[in-house]
Order: sequence, then C-alpha cells, then structure tokens
Amino acid sequence: MEYENLNDELLSAVDSGLKYARTVDREAEFELYLFYDHTTRAKIAQGMVEATDGNVEGNAIRVAKKNSISFASSSGISIERIKRSINEAVTSLRSVSIKDERFKGFCSPKRPGKEGIFTKDVLNLSEEALINIARNMVRESQAFDKHIHAVESECFAEWDGFAVGNTNGLQQTSRSALNGCEISCIAVKGEERRTAYEFDITRERLMKTSGIGAKGAQKAISLLDAKKLNKTTVLPTIWVPISAASYIYASLGQSTSGGNVVEGLSPLRDKIGEVIANPGLTVTDDGQNPTGVNTDAIDAEGYPQQKTTIIEKGRLNKFLFDSYYARIYGTESTGNCTRHSRLFGSTLPYENSPSIRPKNLEIKPGKKDLDALIASIDGQAVLIVDVPIGIFHSDVSTGEFSAVAQNAFLVEDGEKQWSLEPVSVSGNFYDGFKQLRDVGSDLEKTVFTVETPTLVFDGFSIVG
Amino acid sequence: MLKKLERCVEFGEKLGAGFVEARFDDLTLRTLQRFNDVWKDIILRSRAGIGVVCYYGGASGYSFTSSKEDKVLEQTVTRAFKMAKASAKAASLKLDFERRSSVKSQKSDTFQVKTHPQTEDLDFKTNLVNRTVEKARECGKSISSIIGRYGELYGRKLFTNSEGSIIDWNFELVDLNCRVTSKTVSGSLVNGAEQAGGTLGLEHFNAEGSTPEDIGEEAGTRAKEQIRAKPCSAGRFRTLIENRLVGVLAHESFGHLSEGDFVVVGESPLAGKMGAELGTKNATIVDYGTPDISKFGGLWLPYDDQGMRANKTVILEEGVLKHYLHSRGTAKYLGQEPTANCRAVHFGFMPIPRMTNTYFTAGDLTKEEALESLDTGVYAIQTSGGQVGGDGSFLFKAIRGYWVQNGEIKEPIREVSLSGNILNLLSNVEGGTKDLRITAGYFGGCGKSGQHPLPVGLGGPELVISEVTFGGKAG
Repeated sequence: MEYENLNDELLSAVDSGLKYARTVDREAEFELYLFYDHTTRAKIAQGMVEATDGNVEGNAIRVAKKNSISFASSSGISIERIKRSINEAVTSLRSVSIKDERFKGFCSPKRPGKEGIFTKDVLNLSEEALINIARNMVRESQAFDKHIHAVESECFAEWDGFAVGNTNGLQQTSRSALNGCEISCIAVKGEERRTAYEFDITRERLMKTSGIGAKGAQKAISLLDAKKLNKTTVLPTIWVPISAASYIYASLGQSTSGGNVVEGLSPLRDKIGEVIANPGLTVTDDGQNPTGVNTDAIDAEGYPQQKTTIIEKGRLNKFLFDSYYARIYGTESTGNCTRHSRLFGSTLPYENSPSIRPKNLEIKPGKKDLDALIASIDGQAVLIVDVPIGIFHSDVSTGEFSAVAQNAFLVEDGEKQWSLEPVSVSGNFYDGFKQLRDVGSDLEKTVFTVETPTLVFDGFSIVG
Repeated sequence: MLKKLERCVEFGEKLGAGFVEARFDDLTLRTLQRFNDVWKDIILRSRAGIGVVCYYGGASGYSFTSSKEDKVLEQTVTRAFKMAKASAKAASLKLDFERRSSVKSQKSDTFQVKTHPQTEDLDFKTNLVNRTVEKARECGKSISSIIGRYGELYGRKLFTNSEGSIIDWNFELVDLNCRVTSKTVSGSLVNGAEQAGGTLGLEHFNAEGSTPEDIGEEAGTRAKEQIRAKPCSAGRFRTLIENRLVGVLAHESFGHLSEGDFVVVGESPLAGKMGAELGTKNATIVDYGTPDISKFGGLWLPYDDQGMRANKTVILEEGVLKHYLHSRGTAKYLGQEPTANCRAVHFGFMPIPRMTNTYFTAGDLTKEEALESLDTGVYAIQTSGGQVGGDGSFLFKAIRGYWVQNGEIKEPIREVSLSGNILNLLSNVEGGTKDLRITAGYFGGCGKSGQHPLPVGLGGPELVISEVTFGGKAG
C-alpha cells in the first residue's frame, strides 16, 4: 500500500465489503470501518537499539436491525477478512435478542471537512535516518552534563488512513502523517535520580531534532538537589503547558463527552450555560486545525470534523457528540466520534467500538508569561513542570483527583526557588476550574493533543 | 501455519540474520458491556497476525503483518532483517544470547478449564451480565448508573525460532465485573466495584462469592456504603492494604523496576543493587507464569513470546533483591538466567520484558491480628489503578477504605490515594496475612512502551505498612 493511493484502495475495499454485506442481509443496516497504518520506529537506550517497521491494518463492522446492533472486527483489510467480520456480526445479531431502543441509524452522508496538512518528507524517512536522529539526541543530551546518567530517545515516522462506509450511502476517507522524537533523561547525583522528558511531534514539517536532547538534559539537571516541602497544606499550583494539558485532558476530555453526559456520569451534565470556570478560561476542540494531530476530514463514523467551543469565558457552552448520543440529547453531532487518538490511543483502532473523544483541545492564552505568573505569587506555591503521575487515574463521575508531582519547584514570594521532592497534589478538577487564578500566554502543543498555556490554580491540597 | 513460521525463520537466516523468531497469534476477544438498561457493546474481535524478530550483530529488528501470504511474509522478514542490520551499526550496547536446546510444548501446557468460553453461546454470557446488573440495582435508590461487563480472550499462540523450538498452546482469560455509581445527598458521585476473572472456566461464575449475583451485590453494597463515606484526610498514616491493592503495589511499584530492560539501561533504581537489602523480612515478591490457579487465581502463561518456559522468579526475598525479570538478551547481559518474561501485547509489537503474575507472598497473620497490628490508621481496599515513576515514586488509587481506630474498623472513607516511594515503602512492611489472592482481568491490564493492555495477574496477602502518604483534603 502506498500513501498516494491509500484513499482509493480503502474506498474500493469499503465498497466491496458493503456489497457483500447486502447479500448477507438485505434488511439490515451496515457500517464498515477500515484502517491502515504504516509506522517506522527507532529507539535507543544507553546504546541499545530497537527498531520496528510494520503495517497495522484491520476492519470493523457494525450491523443494525430493528434496534438491535452488533460489532465485529478482524485484523486485515482483504475482502476475506472483511467478510469474516460481517458474518460474525450478523451471526451475533441473530443469536441474541438485545435491543437498543435509542439507536436510530448510522450517519447520513455529509460533505467532509479537510484533512490536516502534512509534509511528504515523512514518507521518505528511512530506518537509518530515524536511528541516526535518535543517536544524535542521545549524544547531545549526554554531552550536556556529567550527571546525565541514562538517556532514552525514540523517533518515529507514521502515515495512516481510514475509510468509513455505510448503507445510507456514506463513503468517505481521511489520511494523516506524523513524525516525532522524544527523549527521556535521568540525572543522577548520589542516590538522587531525577527524570525529565522533552519532545517534538508534528505533521506539517519534519521534527526538530537539534536542541531536544540538551533541553531534556537541562530539565533533568535543574531538578537535582531537591528538598522536602515538609508540610501538608493548601497552596496555589502553577501548571506549565505539559502538566496543564494533562489536567485538561484528564478532566474535560471525559466530562465534556456527550456519552458521559447522557449516561449521567459527567458532573457537568446539567450545567450548560452556567459559569463553571474563571472567565479567563475559553476551551475549544478543533478537529479542523490544519496542524492538529487528530485533524481529519471525517470522524470515525464518517461525520465531518469541526470546531466546537466547549467553554467560553468560563461559561459551559457545548458538549462533544457523535451521532448516536447527539440524537438522544437532541442536538447535532460535533464530529467527535473516535476509535483512537493518535499518539496515545489504541494501536489497533479498528478493534474499538466508536466512542466520543476530543480531537484537538485548545485553551485560549492569557497575557502573562511564566515569569510574570510566578512573580504574581504571594507566599508559597508549587510549580509543576511535568505530568503528575496518577493524574489520569481520576474518576470522571467525581472529578476528584490525587496525583504525585515528581518534577516540581517551590515558588516563594514571586520567585522560583528550589526543586522539590515528589509532592502529592489533590483536589477536584471542577472546583479547580472555579479556582483558576490565571491563564498564561505561553501556548504550547503537547503530546496529549491539547494546546495550552500555563494555568495557575488555587485551592489544591499538597502533601510533601 | 507452523510451516509458514518455519519458512520465515529459514528466510531470515538466509538473508543473514544470526537468529530468528517467528510467532503467530490467533486470538478471539469478546466484550459485552451493559450500561444501565442499554447494551453499549457486543463486540467480537479476531486478532490474528505474524511477528518476526531478526537478530543481527547483537541488535534486533521487528516487523509484523496480519497477512498470511508468502510474498507478504517474505517482505515482513526482509523488513525485520533490514531494521536489525541498521540497528547493529548504531548499537553500542549489544544484547546477544546463547543458543539453547529447542523447546517443544506439550498438550498439557494449555490450562484445562471445565467450561471454555468458546463452548457457550452469546446468550449465556449476556445473561451473566444481566444477572449482575439486576442484582446491583437492588442496592438502593441512590444509584446513578450501573455498568456490567463481561470479557473473554482466548486463542492459539504458536512460536518457532532458529533453535527449532515449537511451542503451540492456547491462552484463555475471562472476566465478569460490575461498577455501581451512586449519588450522595450533596450531588457528588461515589463508586462501588467488584470483579472476578483470570484463566478460569465459566463454571467459576457458579462458585460462591463469584456468581453474577455476588458480584452485583458487592458492587452495589459498596457504592451504597460510600454515600456516607468521608473523604480520606491528607497526611501520613499506618495502613492495612487489601490483597488487590497489594497486587498493584507488587506490579506497578516494584515489578516494573525489576524489568531487565530498565535495569540494563540504568533507568531503574534497582540497577546495580542485586543482593541489596531493600525491605523488611516481611517483603517477598515473586513473578510466576504458572501459579496454582485453583488455589490462588491468576493468569496461566506457560511460555513467553520468546519461547522460554515459565518459571517462578523470586525477585525480592525477605527484603533482599534476588533477581530481575528478563528477556533472553537482558538475562545474558546481566549474568542471570532467563525468566520467561519477554511478552508482547499483540503481534504488532516486539516482545519486551513484562510481568506475568506478580505478587507478595503470604505472611502469618490472621485478619484480626492484622487489624490489631494496624491499630489506628487507614484500611485501603481495591484499586482503580496506579502508576510509578522511574525513581520509584508511585501513586495508587484505592476504590474505598475505612478508618481504623484501636484495631476496630470505624467509618468508611473515599478518595483514598496512596503515594510515596516504593523503596521506602518496602522498609515499612510490618507483616502480611495468610491469605494469598491473585487476580487478573480482561478489562484494563499493564501498559509499557505503548503496549497496552497486556493481561497480567497481580496479588498478595493483606499487608500492614507502618507509614503511607495519603493525598486528600488537607485539614
């Protein structure tokens, strides 16, 4: 399979699959999803090299009849494998009498959105080139400081595409390509070990490799000589873009899903139109941002991706929907049907039944840079400079979280002080939005497909 | 299919590879999920594919395909070889290993269950979920939502390599679980959950304590109890940790740090500490692919994805670090025996050091003695997950807990998050109960290097810990 003819090949297979499906059951509705991905990946850890190169391809079928619906998937996109899934799904549908009265049919055809932009140079990145990039990043990092002990670097080049077709006449495709590099550095001094991470992931250009290793090393070194906070208290917390992105994704990524709203799991379910956050917070989800990692012409059920304002100046504006939950809620889909999120989603997306996820979350920046935000602190605060561990183990239904900020600094009277030994940070995500003190100007793209500046919250409990 | 794999090995050797491994997985996964009165998922997945590892000059390359066509298989082997050759040029750390005698599997290597999930129809399984949800529903009017789920994963795993090993066995895992969310008077939501799973036959769901009704009732009752639970206070407390949470501790906190690849590259704080005293005499941690499932539960893994036969690895013995968990390459590099821990989540990934069933071994306390020993502190129960940092920092979430005063269980508490550093925590293990339990499940699993969710077993007894940090509301 070649990138250039990926759309045509997938559409042809969708067409063949749907034709076969109609011969199996003329009265049923069918939806066929095909996925193809090619990834080359190289990883170097202390001189040990791991390299992989392969194609993931698979199909998924949903079949519906008289309010009953079933799903089957299989690896491969050959017509034999597609037929297998169709037969399994139809057998499953016939063998069990389970109704979903809320199901009202698959997506109707609509004009698709646009694919994101990408550089064709990604298609020419060889395994040797990737290994060299990974090796150079390691060298740069190790040369930075003698305390840099262990370094792991990884880079990848990936292109993928998917097609969706259904018996309503919908047949659409979308392609994407990404490349990126990341480095993890451990600084060691005596018994102290501090880990830091740096990355560059992009679709519109080739990854920037120079400077990433040194930046990762510098971060790790800055964390050495950490001191204990030695108190249990409530303090302001300053979340730089990477940690703020984890906060946003762990909270709004789940609670703004129309599925969680309809099922009564989201604490935001009755709050449309209400002020739920500081007026400085505006959050959008943009599935059509040309450089967004999850930008596609269509979502995972063939609906055009779009831009949705979720929170506007602190007021909850809109939830994210696929067509199933949109109909139940009484609204239109927002094009957020998803089977995987690039970068940290499933590696076999065709195995997932559709769900609702943000595409590319974006936080509108404020006016202060990080230095100004730090300078605005009276007394003490904790500056969280990496993703706190456990942040994604929070519960959508309660919003309560407890995480450990391994990489943090003490801020005192407007100045960044020393590195802290790991501190536990806990609170409630939604109380946090109300207690949002400031939104920074330092907008950054992150690996969580969230583009955010630094956020400053009051009111979280700290144990250190 | 074995012939095709053997041809992959021959072709790789012909290209110039020093050693080749080829494997084929043909797995079936079924997910049934009911959300209140609506069936959200009735899913059947067929996951079949071939993975090839070529070794060249101390480095490896991996490629994979879901096709069985000879031409595609040759391309797959060629790609793996190309990756290995390119890696060898750049690698300064080589992970060679010595050839060994070939391994041949036996029919008896597959765990025999009485009622295999393949033999029961879909209605039987949806009925298990329905019974679970209906029973949970009886537990009060404050219920906001009930999720009942059933999962099964089974199928053939076939492996061969340049040594002529032929390993052919069947993996099997089932899981039935329930999660109930209830609403408090103030409108906040609280949870109760229960699960039974592992390499088990469906007959297990007739056993006392594991019937759908038992699972639904337990989840519903606990959610009801949580309505009156107070948030756990922030601070440092003496703690009694229940079996399932102890398992997360063994797996997440210590197990990952003992994985050979992390040790080889110096990322693990356990690197260079073989023989060091890291914990008290009450801390013994084991990884074992074939535990006595009928007695303790768990997952049956007689071979890893590198063709090594499972054995019992004592990682930490009475507080002393004894062994790491290995692939063949990391074992040779670190001068230890392979431990059959090289696993891949599916054919799209190269096998890497992973855990199988990882658990603290049992102690000698009764439950009453454990509570008495705890005296005053937190009794932390069940888990909704955990995570560990490269320096041994961890955070584990208990689903629920109790405040214990003078050895007596008092009021229920919620939002119980334990954090700290594992190497400190091991020094605080004061004792364990006699009852060892290993749990495994279809939903969730272990994640590492993008490979998620890998089924694992984890467990232990209940452990008394002298001090643990709890996140929560600062007083």
